[in-house]
Amino acid sequence: MAHKLLEIDDLCVDFQLPDGDVAAVSHVSLTLAKGETLALVGESGSGKSVTSTAILRLLPELARTRGAIRFNGEDLLGVPNRRMRELRGNRIATVFQEPMTSLNPLHRVGDQIKEVLRLHRGLRGQAARTKVIDLLDQVGIPDPARRATSYPHELSGGQRQRVMIAMALACEPDLLIADEPTTALDVTVQAQILGLLRELQQRYGMAILFITHDLGIVRHFADRVCVMRRGELLEQGPTAEVFANPHHDYTRMLIDAEPSGSKAPVAESSPLLLEAHDVRVLFAIKRRWFGHSDYFEAVRGIDVQLKRGQTLGIVGESGSGKSTLGRALLRLLESRGEIRFDDTDIAHLEGSAMRPMRKRMQVVFQDPFGSLSPRLTVGEIIGEGLRVHHPELNRAARDRRVQQALSEVSLDPGMRNRYPHEFSGGQRQRIAIARALVLQPEFLLLDEPTSALDRSVQATVIELLRELQRKHDLTYLFISHDLAVVRALADSVLVMKEGQVIEHGDTQALFDNPREPYTRELMRAAFMGEAA
Amino acid sequence: MTTESSPYSGADRSPGLPAGGPNPPTQPDPAAGQSLGREAWRRLKQNKAAMVSLWLLGAITLACLFGPYLLPWGLAEVDWNAFNSPPSLTDGHYLGTDANGRDLLVRTLYGGRISLSVALIATLVSLVIGVLYGAISGYMGGRTDNLMMRFVDIMYSLPFMFLVILMMVVFGRSILLIYAAIGAVEWLDMARIVRGQTLALKRREFVEAAHALGVSDRKIITRHMIPNAIGPVIVYVTLTVPKVILLESFLSFLGLGVQEPLTSWGVLINAGTNMMQTAPWMLLVPSVFLALTLFCLNFLGDGLRDALDPKTR
Amino acid sequence: MLNYTLKRLAMAVPTLLVIITLSFFLMRIAPGGPFDGERALSPAIEANLRAAYHLDEPLVMQYLRYVGNLLQGDFGPSFKYKDFSVTELIAQGFPVSLELGFWAILLALLIGLPLGIIAALKRNSAIDYGVMGTALAGIAVPNFVIAPLLALTFGVLLAWLPAGGWNGGAWQNMVLPVIALSIQQIAYLARMMRASMIEVLGSHFIRTARAKGLSESKVILRHALRPALLPVVSYLGPAIAGIVTGSVVIEQIFGLPGIGRYFVQAALNRDYTLVMGTVVFYGGLIVLLNLVVDLIYSALDPQIRYDD
Repeated sequence: MAHKLLEIDDLCVDFQLPDGDVAAVSHVSLTLAKGETLALVGESGSGKSVTSTAILRLLPELARTRGAIRFNGEDLLGVPNRRMRELRGNRIATVFQEPMTSLNPLHRVGDQIKEVLRLHRGLRGQAARTKVIDLLDQVGIPDPARRATSYPHELSGGQRQRVMIAMALACEPDLLIADEPTTALDVTVQAQILGLLRELQQRYGMAILFITHDLGIVRHFADRVCVMRRGELLEQGPTAEVFANPHHDYTRMLIDAEPSGSKAPVAESSPLLLEAHDVRVLFAIKRRWFGHSDYFEAVRGIDVQLKRGQTLGIVGESGSGKSTLGRALLRLLESRGEIRFDDTDIAHLEGSAMRPMRKRMQVVFQDPFGSLSPRLTVGEIIGEGLRVHHPELNRAARDRRVQQALSEVSLDPGMRNRYPHEFSGGQRQRIAIARALVLQPEFLLLDEPTSALDRSVQATVIELLRELQRKHDLTYLFISHDLAVVRALADSVLVMKEGQVIEHGDTQALFDNPREPYTRELMRAAFMGEAA
Repeated sequence: MTTESSPYSGADRSPGLPAGGPNPPTQPDPAAGQSLGREAWRRLKQNKAAMVSLWLLGAITLACLFGPYLLPWGLAEVDWNAFNSPPSLTDGHYLGTDANGRDLLVRTLYGGRISLSVALIATLVSLVIGVLYGAISGYMGGRTDNLMMRFVDIMYSLPFMFLVILMMVVFGRSILLIYAAIGAVEWLDMARIVRGQTLALKRREFVEAAHALGVSDRKIITRHMIPNAIGPVIVYVTLTVPKVILLESFLSFLGLGVQEPLTSWGVLINAGTNMMQTAPWMLLVPSVFLALTLFCLNFLGDGLRDALDPKTR
Repeated sequence: MLNYTLKRLAMAVPTLLVIITLSFFLMRIAPGGPFDGERALSPAIEANLRAAYHLDEPLVMQYLRYVGNLLQGDFGPSFKYKDFSVTELIAQGFPVSLELGFWAILLALLIGLPLGIIAALKRNSAIDYGVMGTALAGIAVPNFVIAPLLALTFGVLLAWLPAGGWNGGAWQNMVLPVIALSIQQIAYLARMMRASMIEVLGSHFIRTARAKGLSESKVILRHALRPALLPVVSYLGPAIAGIVTGSVVIEQIFGLPGIGRYFVQAALNRDYTLVMGTVVFYGGLIVLLNLVVDLIYSALDPQIRYDD
């Protein structure tokens, strides 16, 4: 009988928590053929990772699993532990999301790969060493013989993920479970890793179960797709079909949640609001007792010009200095160079002289969990700026302004006496926006304001930001690593790398026709889904 | 007005597991928030061991404060009818007497006063020094921080118990010196903890946001830093108190701490050790008081830590 | 590695200097001279004594002389044990204290670590609660309470073992002091080991190890144990300091002729040179052992070995 490689039949996983059972996965059935790539898509809490972990039987003890998971016809939920261990790392291999912490920090990477070879293949000594070097070579690690003796902390994130893949490939598995393998990586590295996975899949003919929240990757990478939400499987089918004709509203919403549209240009006559020249930021990395300290130049002489009502997008990978630049422009960091806001030189304003300017330029950060003081109520958080800049307001007036700000970001003003931890990520980001808005600023620094949010929530926050910009004629500096979002929001874009501007231009022109190779690489990596 | 009311907004409401977590809008009283402090208190109340410890500590403290007034014997009062008499309900010496005919319960309660007062004052000293030092070091950062922490490192590797004893030898054994010496020893950990907290908080985005709002440095420290650093400090204080009590009784046990006519648990245990073959209660009574107090404080400290930081369980 | 060792050594020197300087000047500002206690000294004799002990020189000279002598291993004469130098007294007492401390730390490691590991592996089970409850008791009951109780029970009531005395280092005489000295450290080590092990077992690379198909025992032995031991190793410094401090009181209770006993006697008798000598000696010992612990740590953790 020609059975499928993997058949999941009516899988249910419950977590037995002190407050009662919680269903993490309910009645999921799916199949995966030899050599096929199946994407399991969903937002956080959808149960996609629980499903894949259940296949390996690596769920925590408080999980109760029912149903059947047949691998080559054998029900994994019924086999003894010994058999399960024979399959793990051998026939079923895994690559996890966290490359930085998934390798044992105290063992050399070569030894960690060798361990698999020895366990499942009985390879030892020179034979094992040769195989390890061969594997590292196959996953594109330069100088594999030397790298095999490195410790994980000596490798970059991308290289560690390559080591994880080499380890997974060691026994040429039939099934590779890739659990968000590229989420923690920069886009260009992400593209390389995905390319590598695809190439290796063709070489070894293995099936891949690809768990992700990123529809762009799915479109590019998967033969078939399963959409999950709150533990349930909503819809499955061939990728192209699902994307072209989603049956379920949720799937449609996910696809539509990809940011779209573009920014309406501002009038030519609009005055300059923010103007910066040759901005530099230095960080001391090693302090010496005598003589000069060693410095790292995070921002290396950048010019910025922003007209009232415009949005400037700053894109770049981690470590490019984009957030540092943003903070320097707001005078949250010491910097060199000129910064003029509405024709006032703010680069040299000290303490109290800067204070009136602060009211006019505000900020929204990435981390919705870290950006609100956990011990203040939402009302106190939003009202804090009013206390500083409008000491004339009495308590009632301040409260009215707070309520107004909350309704402006579509939150119930009745919730202003609650604490931040009682809100969801998307709601907190709205609170952070309200905190900025209540001062009626002219300029907002948006530092990855949607990056920590699920796609569907992200879409609503972006819509809110657009609406607020139109209504209040706000000027945005939008920092993001997500090119799709920037394309939808910005008038012009500044591409940064290693503290410098690589390319700068109007959004439309830059996206249609990137000049620099680095920009092209970024775009290819970010939009490969659409290109395919 | 649209709240986040797309049918799918639940997806981002509960990180981790689905359908968990409270759903704010449907709760009965949206106006009343649950502050972290109150939630911690609620969790602490569920911890039976910690609550029992809290009650016991309260009882011991009250007994030490008021007990001596309720008992018919004085600290140094000699009962000529009862030398070395074992615990008994009939002669009024409920926990026996010592070799000089002094009531052991009264002496233990008086000793408790000294031990607890040392704990309180020395911990306060260490708290003040540690918090100031740590906060300054962490807030200043850079070279100042480097220098201040190097100093702490060096202090750390000093054999402190011996230096305290040295101080007792040099300056004479006064109770004031015990307060100061122990406090001066115990501030190091506090300084490290507070510095760590300050450094971490300084980098938190809500502190940056406050800077962006134009909030003054003083307000940032009082409104944003201190309230958020206070949890670990409370936990650490609860764990410092037993250490201090232990240190004091250690010194007193060796005869280098509290001196007659005053007494403390350490002094009483030392006296009991010498008499343990003939009058074991003299060892057991103060030991039980001391051990019980330390036990409760440790339980309470563990409970507080779990309550303030539920992740670590 | 060599670099790191040198760095740590460079840190140890100022620490030692602080100890020496601090104890020297503390002693010198002591109210009353060292001969106050001995009545009826004629001024002439006292002047002679002062000269003999170099107390008539300027303070700085005295300090330099003291440091210079220390470097040659000379801690000066004892004020009270007139026929002995401090160095001789320390040399006499140290072997006893060393033996006691060595067995105590060994016992603490051999019992504390396995208990902590077992508790972590059987988390939230009866065993875990039992071990952790006992550990908490071990922390709460000080060693100067445990020691007399042990002596009373096993030495006096049951009379299985001697209740005190050194007896030339016979093993029977060592058992109770070693147990009394190690109990608190057993408790601390077990608690730390448990916490550290639980944290490591929840980490991503343990999940990776399981996904490789390793058996649970190999996962623990090969992947969990070493990382979990790291924080425990860094605690060994304070643990050793705790044992050294504890030995003072244990030697006192069991009447063992170690340095701790000399130290307490000296402190009670205000034997300045002996107190100072022992403090400096203990300080040097603790600094040295901390250094050893640091080096062990750096040998176990590649991230330190290569970063520094």
